[in-house]
Amino acid sequence: MQAREMISIAQQEEFKQTEIYEMNSVVERDNISADDFAVVTIDKEENEKIGTTKYSYWGSVAKNFFLSKVTIFMLVLIVIILLMSFIQPLFSGYDLSNVSKINDFGARYNFPNAKYWFGTDANGNSLFDAIWAGARTSISIGVIASLIIEGIGVIVGAIWGVSKKFDRVMLEIYNVISNVPSLLIIIVLSYAFGNGFWNLIFAMTCTSWIGTAYFMRVQVMIMRDREYNVASRTLGTSTKRIVLKNILPYLTSVIVTDVSLTLPSFISYEVFLSFLGVGLSQNVPSLGRLISQYSPYMTSYPYLFWLPVLVLALITISLYIIGQRLSDASDPKTHM
Amino acid sequence: MNNSEKETLLSIKNLEITFGSGKSEFVAVQDVNFDIHKGEIFSLVGESGSGKTTIGRAILGINPTSNGQIIFDGKQINGKISKKEKYEIERKIQMIFQDPSASLNERATVDYIISEGLYNYNLAKDEDERVAKVQEMLENVGLLPEQLYRYPHEFSGGQRQRIGIARALIMNPKLVVADEPISALDMSIRAQILNLLKKFRKEQGVTFLFIAHDLSVVRYISDRIAVIRAGRILELAETEELFNHPIHPYTKSLLSAIPIPDPLIAKQRKNFVYDPNMHDYSTEGPTFKEILPGHFVYCNEDEAEKYKAELQ
Repeated sequence: MQAREMISIAQQEEFKQTEIYEMNSVVERDNISADDFAVVTIDKEENEKIGTTKYSYWGSVAKNFFLSKVTIFMLVLIVIILLMSFIQPLFSGYDLSNVSKINDFGARYNFPNAKYWFGTDANGNSLFDAIWAGARTSISIGVIASLIIEGIGVIVGAIWGVSKKFDRVMLEIYNVISNVPSLLIIIVLSYAFGNGFWNLIFAMTCTSWIGTAYFMRVQVMIMRDREYNVASRTLGTSTKRIVLKNILPYLTSVIVTDVSLTLPSFISYEVFLSFLGVGLSQNVPSLGRLISQYSPYMTSYPYLFWLPVLVLALITISLYIIGQRLSDASDPKTHM
Repeated sequence: MNNSEKETLLSIKNLEITFGSGKSEFVAVQDVNFDIHKGEIFSLVGESGSGKTTIGRAILGINPTSNGQIIFDGKQINGKISKKEKYEIERKIQMIFQDPSASLNERATVDYIISEGLYNYNLAKDEDERVAKVQEMLENVGLLPEQLYRYPHEFSGGQRQRIGIARALIMNPKLVVADEPISALDMSIRAQILNLLKKFRKEQGVTFLFIAHDLSVVRYISDRIAVIRAGRILELAETEELFNHPIHPYTKSLLSAIPIPDPLIAKQRKNFVYDPNMHDYSTEGPTFKEILPGHFVYCNEDEAEKYKAELQ
């Protein structure tokens, strides 16, 4: 303790001395001569230089994205869930309609244990296998449906936003479609085309793309008359090029936000529809089917109901948080 | 300088621009007549909302005109013209925008922004020629070649405005409409931009329509000045003529309001306030009359006599 004080006092002394030394070294005004100065030329090029490193849009997006620890955790979580749901079913050979163990009382209603991690159900099937097979279907539906919707929505919305003729027609179509409850359309379409994976995707995307397209139309219209687009027009740039080069790049973060909202919403939508008994065929496992099938066991064998719900919640929440973070990161205002 | 010696590049006749229709109709610009000669810098000055920018944009075809003619190089360019003609004219008339940060595409590199016009008009034979042209232009406006692949937000305001100038002038335009190109810029770099415009006028013979509200800037840069108020041109003369012998009361009031960087002189000066009701146009409406050679004033016969008498 004492030694440290000694050192600090010594340092202070030294500091004072250098200060005094500097005070003494100030040259008297009368002693200054022209030799003390040197002519420095202005380097015009140096003036124009930019000190920062080169900016790259996607590089900054990635840098920004990985800043948050929660996001990284969610990313790891979703990667694990994805790997499990796309690889595990290949080995488990889970079959929803397999009832071979129904008479094996030892295999029925096992509480989660070392052999059956998530327990077993009334048919003696492992819930662990069921959940990953179900998650695979649910995630596939969510991803495929939102890709279709965003693809069509962005293309149609971009044309819709810049073409007045197209706008007039599309607005009428939009008014008609958006006033019919989408659930009704989906149920009618599912009954008309029959149950099935692709039929369900068709039913879900058949009309709902128009909502995304309308959203994109508004966004394009906001950007359309900005000054930089007027500038492009005076340079003779065609409308098509303005949309592709000037407007859509600005909308990247908006599109990412929209995807991050539609993807989880499609997954929960599928769950909701399966719960109602609409959509997928009887032999296709999905999280929605598991939840609806096990809902009577909510009190007797709670793990059967709550584990699929938990996995569903983890999928939607992590996708949502990753999407939000990605859309924040893809907004260049957050870049340095 | 005599008008007859100069070749007219752009001529505006009885221009009227209206926004909206029916009850909400608003006449932004009316009775505008002026000629711009080849190779000159012609300035439009006026307070905000007087229609300066509207005229500039009408020349570029951004704002539609409701009446009158805009004649460029002997051809009418407003109203209905074919797509092909419009395409040709768009290259020859370029614009420099007021706000350099709003008028550049933030998601494109400087390389693309400057080349945009070259792509649209196939002005470069191949990739090498395009790069060479862009590099040359970049050097002309004082930017560095290594900045080609940077984005607009990395530049300072003055540098951005120079990018805006580069993309307009790489098209080899005949006329450039500079819409308050320096009002969004820092004082210290305004002169740099003005000198750049002067340089292009001298080296490439570009004609400028310079829109501004700062009279000292206008005096520095322009050959002729038109004073505009509430959509009408009130006075048009050569720069020194206008500053030495302002005729219209509005011009006088504008000139009396130029800030003087000397408090003693500024205190003594009397500000002249213009009242638009001072004119008596009940018996005879005003027209654009040539009071002195090359010096036009918006007045009626009585006023013209009065102004002429005052000058002698």
